[in-house]
Amino acid sequence: MKKYVLVRALYSVVTLWLLVTIIFGLVRLTGDPVAMKAEAGADAAYVAQLKSDWGLDRPLHWQYLGFVGRLLRGDFGHSFEKSLPVRDIYFERLPNSLKLGFAAFVISVVLGVPLGMLSALKVNSGWDNAGKMVALLGLSMPGFFVGLVLIIVFGINLGWLPVLGKGPSTFVWSMPSTWMPFWFRDWAYLAMPAFALGWYFSGAMLRITRSGMLDVLGSDYIKLVRLKGVPERMVVAKHALKNSMIPVLTFAGLNLLIMVNVAVVIEVIFNWPGVGQLLYDALSNRDFPMVQGVVLMSGLMIVVLNFTIDVLYGYVDPRIRLSR
Amino acid sequence: MATIPIGAGPTITAQRVARRRYRVFFRNAPIVPLLIVTVLALVAVLAPVIAPHGKLDPVKPTQDRCLAKYGTADCPYVDNVPPFWAHGGTLDTPLGTDFLGRDVLSRLMYGASISLVVALTGTLFAGAIGTVLGVLAGYMGKWWDQIIMRITDAWLTLPSLVFAILLSSVRGPGLWNVVLILALVFWSRYSRAVRAEVLAIREREFVKLAEINGIGKLTIIWRHIIPNVMNTVMVLFSLQVGVAVIIEASLSFLGVGVPPPEPSWGLMMAQERESLMEGRWWLAVFPGACITMLVLSANMLGDWLRVRLDPQLRNR
Amino acid sequence: MIKGLLALIAVVGLALMSCGEAAAQKGTAPAILAGPLAKLDIKPAQIDTARGTPKGTLTVAMHFALDPGWLDVLEHSYAVTQQMYDYLVHDAMIKPMPYGYVTYGLAEQAELAADFRRAAFRLRPGLKFHDGQPVTAADVKWTYENFKGAYAKVFHDKLEYVQIPDDRTIVFHFKEPFIDFMDLYNGGVSGIGWIVPKHYYEKVGRDGFKARPIGAGPYKLVSQQAGVQMVFEAFEDYWRRSPATKTIVVKGVRDLTARMAGLQTGELDLAFGMTGKLMPRLMADANLRWDPNFTGPWWLIFPGYNESGNPFRDKRVRQAISLAINRSFLVKQETQGIGKPWGNWISPENRDALQGAEAPVPEYNVEKAKQLMAQAGVPDGFEFEYVPFPPYFDMGERILTDLRAIGLRGKMQTLEGPAFRAKIGQGRKGFPGNRTIAQNIDPRAGGAKANVAVYAVCGSSASFVCEPQIEALWTKHQASLDQQERERLIKAIQRILLDEYYFVPIYWNPFVHAVGPRVLPEGRAVSRYWDTLNAPYPWPWEIWEVKADR
Repeated sequence: MKKYVLVRALYSVVTLWLLVTIIFGLVRLTGDPVAMKAEAGADAAYVAQLKSDWGLDRPLHWQYLGFVGRLLRGDFGHSFEKSLPVRDIYFERLPNSLKLGFAAFVISVVLGVPLGMLSALKVNSGWDNAGKMVALLGLSMPGFFVGLVLIIVFGINLGWLPVLGKGPSTFVWSMPSTWMPFWFRDWAYLAMPAFALGWYFSGAMLRITRSGMLDVLGSDYIKLVRLKGVPERMVVAKHALKNSMIPVLTFAGLNLLIMVNVAVVIEVIFNWPGVGQLLYDALSNRDFPMVQGVVLMSGLMIVVLNFTIDVLYGYVDPRIRLSR
Repeated sequence: MATIPIGAGPTITAQRVARRRYRVFFRNAPIVPLLIVTVLALVAVLAPVIAPHGKLDPVKPTQDRCLAKYGTADCPYVDNVPPFWAHGGTLDTPLGTDFLGRDVLSRLMYGASISLVVALTGTLFAGAIGTVLGVLAGYMGKWWDQIIMRITDAWLTLPSLVFAILLSSVRGPGLWNVVLILALVFWSRYSRAVRAEVLAIREREFVKLAEINGIGKLTIIWRHIIPNVMNTVMVLFSLQVGVAVIIEASLSFLGVGVPPPEPSWGLMMAQERESLMEGRWWLAVFPGACITMLVLSANMLGDWLRVRLDPQLRNR
Repeated sequence: MIKGLLALIAVVGLALMSCGEAAAQKGTAPAILAGPLAKLDIKPAQIDTARGTPKGTLTVAMHFALDPGWLDVLEHSYAVTQQMYDYLVHDAMIKPMPYGYVTYGLAEQAELAADFRRAAFRLRPGLKFHDGQPVTAADVKWTYENFKGAYAKVFHDKLEYVQIPDDRTIVFHFKEPFIDFMDLYNGGVSGIGWIVPKHYYEKVGRDGFKARPIGAGPYKLVSQQAGVQMVFEAFEDYWRRSPATKTIVVKGVRDLTARMAGLQTGELDLAFGMTGKLMPRLMADANLRWDPNFTGPWWLIFPGYNESGNPFRDKRVRQAISLAINRSFLVKQETQGIGKPWGNWISPENRDALQGAEAPVPEYNVEKAKQLMAQAGVPDGFEFEYVPFPPYFDMGERILTDLRAIGLRGKMQTLEGPAFRAKIGQGRKGFPGNRTIAQNIDPRAGGAKANVAVYAVCGSSASFVCEPQIEALWTKHQASLDQQERERLIKAIQRILLDEYYFVPIYWNPFVHAVGPRVLPEGRAVSRYWDTLNAPYPWPWEIWEVKADR
């Protein structure tokens, strides 16, 4: 077990280092941030000063070493565009993205899992197709369209829900009293963006649940349970459902992170102050430290999550747990 | 057929069986999605022939239409004409015109070719790269596996937006940028699944037999491994096509997709979202409906394919 | 004898009275500088200075993500949008206000020597920063010397030394005649006139100042979420008046449909950049009001036009392009008729800009355009690249449609805002290729010469024009110390640019702003908030009034 964990940890470190290097190189190919900040009419002295302030006048390998060195100390540098430390800005936005991601995840589970179960139990029937249609419809419409229709109908025409931003509640890392209330307040602002994002992912949830259930329902274990005469309902509820939850949960964790990073379009339409919009603004302005910081933090979360899942799987699997 | 070489035996058997299965294959296929995809493909190919008007130029207006809208006898174009069933619509432009007086129906037809080309080629390239890397990682093992998988893991965490902006600033915005983005971002989805598949196939008897007989690794990959991962790849491909279309629309919304004035569906939706607010819903909804139809059909076909090609589920 | 004495007393009395009047007219302040002074056109601002109690909240939506760095005026960028924050948190010695290009702000008196080698200011009495500390000449000197933003090099190179006769007076001595000093020192042009508190900046340092800035302006920064939102509260001890609105919340809302939705649900009170397809909706909504807010004219540039092999080298081709654009129809379609087809590329609100009869609107004549194309040897047209100003891509498509009528087939190159501005800033280098037309707009203040200096002279890195005729005039302009000769030369340069079609103006752009129902006063009177000249945004902020919060 120990060797397994160590090997997995090593993989994670290598992956992270690869990510650091790849993003360092990619971002520097995107353009010249100095040219973007210095408008038409800027004199050469101003441009040179910007360059030196941002450390872009040093040779590339020095920039890379400096970057990695500061990373190891937890310093992601100062944003070119926003002039404040990248880490502070990122962590200020992260709770917002997590809130949206959690809510969307819950909605995708509520929409997708029951439809997936239904679809698996009544394969290829009308129910199967109808259920698939509803969930897949979410996958088939671009997020900005769904979002805009929701805004027009529920925000402007009916006036039921606010359309901009996340509401006044904030998550302040240094004040634990704000931690719990943050997740449950201002749900009116959360409703539409979470629904738009959740609907999109409910298709994936449906698929996973459906295929998981189908796998389990066709397995020998279930055949045995049926032979024993257990009523069908019990078969489904007690045995099939529990076992098919494992792949759902695995995917869920990863999905949550992907949602956090992929929700750019929803964040722009609803002006939700999340990490996706942060990345988009940073990319538009070629804000190297911010792009690097956001991508690396997201990558770190995904790598850590994968590592945890691998270790849990290893623990659950007796072959690995009991090995040296 | 003359003497059958030992190493090639199982493949030829598989081929004969596959040919017979072909007819049985499409037995339970979902008709409507298949029909939709076929129609869209035909429209895409025949657009220059069957489209009533051009894709970039405004429809030439008649005098009374100019008079009705602007009060002058002559005008460059008549914009925002509603669909033919609404008041003010005309059968000449059955689905209406956009802000530049261009016929929506014609642009939708040309848009079919753009959206399909982008989605199909992007996914194809992604699939090709991902399959090759997955096969190499799975079959060659050792260092190949480690390096490719670590790169795949790292690559999976990179947001597609980074590539979108990178490419549009390096090459300037364009249609092939979107194809490249799709290829660069999605190959990693393929390589994981293919690698897992290859790991299983590697243990199968006919592969082991081929190895014992001294057949070269590349030949084995080409003759045995790749045909047998095709199932997985095809399923992934059909599912990814839908994702690709949506990604193209999102990139157009963010301003880094197919550039105007090309009529890609995603771009039409993104450009006309303000018209949606204005009440001219048809300008955004028609391209949206096309996208939805295409993606839904691709997804349902993909789901059906997965069940069809999965040996365990085949008999359900 | 008594009659003579009475007459003498009368004369002396009259003399004294007139002296007193003269003294009263000049105010209690004597001249700071000795010697003849240059004539300056600085007025007091004309706004309501009632001191009431601030009430209500005004929510403003910017059309891009907010930059916290803009609160630091010591590193003031060239971007005109930074002035939005300047007017909120800081105050300048002189700045544009209703109704002058330059009005007195922190300074109550400004003088420029006739030989342009000395400039002096006197601060008003009783000025305070947000922390209660007084604004002194030492702060003005410190700001000047530590300024690192736009035009810093010019200011530092020309300065010889600074003299502070007393707490409220400061005199700048220059190495050579600095005729543009007052124009550049103007808060609407550069950031050096926005005064930073020396004691506070030195205490908290650069990072601390960016996170929690302090100034002498009407609003204090209360909180911010980087890039998303900033909350400001009224500084009631502001010298000019106590602001009418208690809280101003500035949000970054980059999507136009989101801004429109916010206005209609009441979550926003003021939104910028409401142009294009949503204008009919805006105009039709009875709850919302809007101001045309003319900024600058659009114009087309031809990068690399004077190189061989470039099809735009021929003046007839450029003229054909100008003739082919249907400006009146364009304005109707793109701006619902609010925009004004224009004959110059510099805004008429800028000093010395050609306008009216001097720069008539170019005509629309497709036949003549085709003839010119044929004369130039390209009757069938050619293909080219078109780079529109983001996010006005619809307008770009309309222009491309017009140009297609004379055979010019354009391919649009869409960029994001910062990427486009970077290319413009790099001038010819930003547009590789020799078949490009770019569309630009630049409402910068500082007089027509500021625009010319950036876009029309060889020495500027952003310039697309390099013509010996213009260079000769420009050199004369820079060497001249006579305001009227300078005005004549600048107008001559504009004349050449327009007559030779190096620039093709299109229309004067209305950068429409919209306000919601909570903004007072009711009705159309709300347009007084846009009375500051040459300002693309509605300031000052201290006069904005909203209904009190429920």
